[in-house]
Amino acid sequence: MNWLSMIANRLLWFVPTLLGLLAIVFVLSRVVPVDPAHLAAGEQASSEQVQRVRARFGFDKPLPVQFINYLRDVATGDLGTSHYTQRPIVDDLASRLPATLELILTALLLAALLGIPLGVLCGLYRHSWLDHILRVISVSGLAVASFWLAMQLQLLFSMRLGWLPLAGRIEGFPPDMITGFLLLDALISGEGDLFASALRHLALPALTLALPAAASVVRFMRNGVISAIHSPSVAYQTAMGFPRWLIVWKYVLRLALSTTVTQLGLIFGFLLAGTVVVETVFDWPGLGGYAVRSILQSDYNAVMGFTLCTGALVLVINLCVDVLQIAIDPRGSA
Amino acid sequence: MTTRRAVLKGAVSSTILGLASWDVSAQSGARFVYANNSPYDNLDPHTVFDVSRAATRLNLYDGLYRWVDNPPKLVPWLAASHTVSEDGKVYSFKLRSEARFHDGKPVTSADVVYSIERIIALRKGPASHYLDVIKPGSTQAPDPATVVFNLVQPYAIFLATVPDMLIVNSALVKANEQDGDWGESWLARNDAGSGSYVLRRHDPAVGWIGRRFNDHFAGWTGQPIDEIEFRTVLDTSTRVLGLIRGEFHGADGYMPYDQIERLRRSPNVQVIEQEAMRVFGLALNNRKSLMNNVHFRRAIAHAFDYDGFIKNILKDSVSRNPGPNPNTIWGTPAGLRGYDYDLDKARAELAKVGEPLRVIGINALAGFSDSEQAAILLQNALRQIGVEAVVELSPWTVVLSRMSKPETRADIIPVWRSSFYIDPNNWVGELFGTRYHDSRSFSLYSNPEFDRRLDQALISRDHEERRKLYEEMTQMVMDDAASVFIYNTRWYGPYSRKVKDIRFSPVNHGQDMRWVSMSR
Repeated sequence: MNWLSMIANRLLWFVPTLLGLLAIVFVLSRVVPVDPAHLAAGEQASSEQVQRVRARFGFDKPLPVQFINYLRDVATGDLGTSHYTQRPIVDDLASRLPATLELILTALLLAALLGIPLGVLCGLYRHSWLDHILRVISVSGLAVASFWLAMQLQLLFSMRLGWLPLAGRIEGFPPDMITGFLLLDALISGEGDLFASALRHLALPALTLALPAAASVVRFMRNGVISAIHSPSVAYQTAMGFPRWLIVWKYVLRLALSTTVTQLGLIFGFLLAGTVVVETVFDWPGLGGYAVRSILQSDYNAVMGFTLCTGALVLVINLCVDVLQIAIDPRGSA
Repeated sequence: MTTRRAVLKGAVSSTILGLASWDVSAQSGARFVYANNSPYDNLDPHTVFDVSRAATRLNLYDGLYRWVDNPPKLVPWLAASHTVSEDGKVYSFKLRSEARFHDGKPVTSADVVYSIERIIALRKGPASHYLDVIKPGSTQAPDPATVVFNLVQPYAIFLATVPDMLIVNSALVKANEQDGDWGESWLARNDAGSGSYVLRRHDPAVGWIGRRFNDHFAGWTGQPIDEIEFRTVLDTSTRVLGLIRGEFHGADGYMPYDQIERLRRSPNVQVIEQEAMRVFGLALNNRKSLMNNVHFRRAIAHAFDYDGFIKNILKDSVSRNPGPNPNTIWGTPAGLRGYDYDLDKARAELAKVGEPLRVIGINALAGFSDSEQAAILLQNALRQIGVEAVVELSPWTVVLSRMSKPETRADIIPVWRSSFYIDPNNWVGELFGTRYHDSRSFSLYSNPEFDRRLDQALISRDHEERRKLYEEMTQMVMDDAASVFIYNTRWYGPYSRKVKDIRFSPVNHGQDMRWVSMSR
């Protein structure tokens, strides 16, 4: 299978996957004992007014009809209007998406930079004191609750040491955006102060997400390295008398990375879920915080829009991971 | 390539410099930053009406009158004066000639007329104050400085509710109406007011920034704040740490008490304490089987451990409030004794019920520790007298949706009643009058004798007569144990020590920033 047909095949699966996801969320959101028409009409709305709102939003129709209507609107790019912000959901999501992506990609990068070298060390020096210590730390990292970790990092780096800001994406309001990614915008516009401020604000939330993710990467990389060391190809290279560093660099790392890259794709999904807590604690204006508010306010359209957006993101990232994996180990495309 | 390198080099060096000189602006006190526990996703003053988002209404908009201070005083605001007709049905207000909207346009009676028509049409926010007494099209503007409200019937609380009728720039809103929406989409994220601050930035994900309106009719004295920022910070711990660290200069005054104690230990923070008008109690659904039995309700009232809850759980951070009205307002009979915690009395009342018991549902507000703890405390006590209760925690929207129908409303809801206007009608009247069953009723209580007195209290212009009527209504509610009343909230406003002259009122919750000054 060549790259293009693999990508086309994956893209074809996007549609039924997203449909299934939307169907589940649609049913779940309707099970909640909340009358969306009543909420949208206002606490003091008369029953006639609630009825009008119900008819206007189509809440008076049978559930299957509501779902089909929703899908029809989604197909035209209309995710509906938020009952609370009074804005199109698309606008709400678009304004928050860059903040979340910036946070997750930074966390993913940190996790990879931290986890891959440590995982290689653990694998190469299996059962050494270094391996034991790092395994204990990585298991602890996986077990720790993100809200607890977030608060401990705030207490240490913001309150005790005073090095980093406590919350927010930037001091005050962000300037007019170019791409929506503050770090990138600061670089494009050459604003060093903005870059510094954005980086300092990004540090703690990204670290909160990255540490458990790095623990996961360490474990996968370690297992990958151990498995690669025991593979016939590496045994052959060793028997041929190649230097150890060359074998590790050229063969072991490549084999181990292919499984870890797949893991990074899965970690992206976990990080996306983690933003719900981390964005709330760090007052980060992204999709996670939006999801929390929408759920608490029973804003159906917003919850559905969030689900669709994050679902699509995970699918796209996994597609990218598949492509990257083939680039690292072309045997996978066969 | 050279340019890219230069940019990167600049960014790196700025990062290092930035780390060394962080947050100078926040610490200099040049701007007031308030950390709020609710998102500012909608700025429309005729839609948003909750306590936690009062700042947009108070600072961007003005009403004809305004509540200030504690005990609250009603002072003329956009209106210079008013008169009431002999029959109490016609209210005429004279507007100040110097009042201007933020775009420079004078505030006229046409704007007042548009504002009340808009409130009635949208039926959100403060609409319930006016729906029964002001008919669409009945308000007149005989000249630009005079507005006349022709009420359907005398309405004794009308003046007390006038501060909630915030005035919008009619020309500006009309220009932004879409498909007859009264500008609802536009006003959700824009400003059309005349208030002390002009909206400069708004981001539903972040909050909003207001710049001082130099031309505000009330003028400015002292060291007013030039720029205010109200930022959404949902996590309580982050708000508290931000105050201690000096990143925020103010936050909501109804935090859990352990957080208040933590703030009191910080040298950077002052905690201003005031008696609020926010009564907490158990709303009993008087319509459901068993709950409609007065003896069963009295048994519940005797089964709640008031002292244990207030002294041990809430550490005396609130005041016992035996009746529906806050202790600090008139309308409660002198020496009113609330129910006491006595399980023997509860069992005695239970013995008189005369019908089979059933499992009782307690629907507490998720995320509100007082509501959750009160529910569990009551559940334990009820078990001791042989009544099984199930506690369910739900978000406010779920509780609210269930409240729309008597059959879906929970048997018991531990909940607060805030002050929207200062009159006993805000509490005993609206919570227990049959006329309010569709909007704000606490308990779906219905008593013709109560309703007769309520009708009279709402049309009477004699204060002493009204006082007597509300006292009688309060006593009826107590005798019938229509609900269980537990405490009145104390407000603990946490502010930076740089902040001075906060003027708290039970309606503004310390968020009316025009009075506040701040050392630089």
